[in-house]
Amino acid sequence: MTYLAMFHWGWLLGAFLIGFGMGWIAVVYRGRSVSRVWIQRLSVIAAVIVGIAIAKVVPGRFGYWLDLGLALFGFYLVGCAIGSWLRDIVVVRQQTRVT
Amino acid sequence: MHGFYRWSAKWWPGLIPLAILWVVAAWVSTIPLETDLTARSTAALKNTILDKSQITVAGRDVSFSAEAFSEDGRRSAVSSVEATPGVRLVNDETRLVAEAKPFVWVAERDNVRVTLWGTAPLPASRARIVEAARAALSGTEVSDRMGLKRGAPPRFDAAAVLLLDQVAKLKEGKAVISDTNVSLSGMARDLGGREAIAAALKNLPEGFTVAANDIKAPPYVFQANKDPVTNTLTLSGYVPDNNVHAALASAAGRKFGNEKIVDNLKASIGAPGGFAAAVTTALGALSRLSTGTLVVSDREVKLSGDALYEVAADQIRASLARELPQGWQAKAEVSVKPAAAPVDASVCQQLFAQNLTKGRIRFEPSSASINVDSAGLLDRLVEIAMRCPNVRVEIAGHTDGDGDAAFNQSLSEKRALAVEEYLVKAGLPADRFSTIGYGSTQPIATNDTDEGKLQNRRIEFVVRQAP
Repeated sequence: MTYLAMFHWGWLLGAFLIGFGMGWIAVVYRGRSVSRVWIQRLSVIAAVIVGIAIAKVVPGRFGYWLDLGLALFGFYLVGCAIGSWLRDIVVVRQQTRVT
Repeated sequence: MHGFYRWSAKWWPGLIPLAILWVVAAWVSTIPLETDLTARSTAALKNTILDKSQITVAGRDVSFSAEAFSEDGRRSAVSSVEATPGVRLVNDETRLVAEAKPFVWVAERDNVRVTLWGTAPLPASRARIVEAARAALSGTEVSDRMGLKRGAPPRFDAAAVLLLDQVAKLKEGKAVISDTNVSLSGMARDLGGREAIAAALKNLPEGFTVAANDIKAPPYVFQANKDPVTNTLTLSGYVPDNNVHAALASAAGRKFGNEKIVDNLKASIGAPGGFAAAVTTALGALSRLSTGTLVVSDREVKLSGDALYEVAADQIRASLARELPQGWQAKAEVSVKPAAAPVDASVCQQLFAQNLTKGRIRFEPSSASINVDSAGLLDRLVEIAMRCPNVRVEIAGHTDGDGDAAFNQSLSEKRALAVEEYLVKAGLPADRFSTIGYGSTQPIATNDTDEGKLQNRRIEFVVRQAP
């Protein structure tokens, strides 16, 4: 994993920044939300895919691409979480100042 | 926490650029990643001993095929690749190198090159053997066609290197190791090469045995040529050592009292057993010829030339085959010299005197047995006697002054008789000869010195006109 992180740090940083931007927007975004049921279903699918990756079931290049996708997705989620959290802090401060 | 859950429900639009990023990253990074992992895996195997090692990387999975020389080595190699950072899976396609039974190795030499066949146990052994071949056979092309297999006997390398040194002594031939059996065949480059190789094979590493040593050597040649025109005996070719050289030169001096001896002999090892005895016998036969050539090649004695008379030719043919050491072969192509023109009594006497002055009829000490070295001289005396058929010859025996006078008298008579007997056996009529012994009563030199005594011990031929 350390090797992957070192080798792909640029791509992972990109995934993190996309996530950070998405998280930043999501706090004030008025668009459609994914329903709770779908989030649960997608979480299960994600867990299964992680399981497949850990079990090293998919061979060769496809296996590598799966690992790469999951790593990017992980960094994306972390970026989203940090982005949303920071934006939430900013929004709360603004609301406090208005009131 | 509730807010966090609410926000995450709106993170999905970012998945679209993420997916694009994923595709681009996969597109761009796959080949460099595979190249990097190939290099790292190969580097991890740097210190392992493998044959036909091949690494193919697909994504992060390594397909590793190789032939290892031991099970431990095989496992260690696979572990090294598995431990390479970044490698996800190793498809282990390694196996052990095949075992050769019997384990055969061949070094074959022809006029142009040395070819190494068969199998070596390890790449390092193979390299060492090729290097040893280049060192031992500098200037000769070395063609390496060895494979690698398990099952070599212990100390194989040392045996192979020793054999390469022997192959260097061959003109052509081969050395073979089959398990612990060593066999050699071919033709040695030099005289003595066969013996040098046989001696070196005694130093084979422990456990190895010589199954066959069929090395042949160039023929060991000794030649002697008797030329009556220049009155010389020319010796050429080889003798085993200086002692044999001296012994043969001395024998030639005794047997060829009349001829000047030109000695071109060289010393070399490689002589067949019984060489000195065989050559001495053959020189004796040559000394009885008027003109002739003796060629001793290995264990074959070839004598050609002209005997002085018919009976001598028969005797030479028979005695040469009989007197050679066991295992030797004789080829005598002896003809008879045309009879020389008859001469009168005075010339006959002159010829007898000339021959008996230059050479002496030798006897065994205190005995009437004629020494074999005198056969050549006696044959010449027979020939002279044949040239003057109408004369009678008195054969007179003399001794030196040593010892009892009666014994000397008797000895001189017996010696004169022995000479007469030789002449009669040669085909001359017995009634042409008479014998007389003078003991030590007619010395021609002082009996106080060895040289004087030697001159006094003599046989004289006195020609008397037939009545």
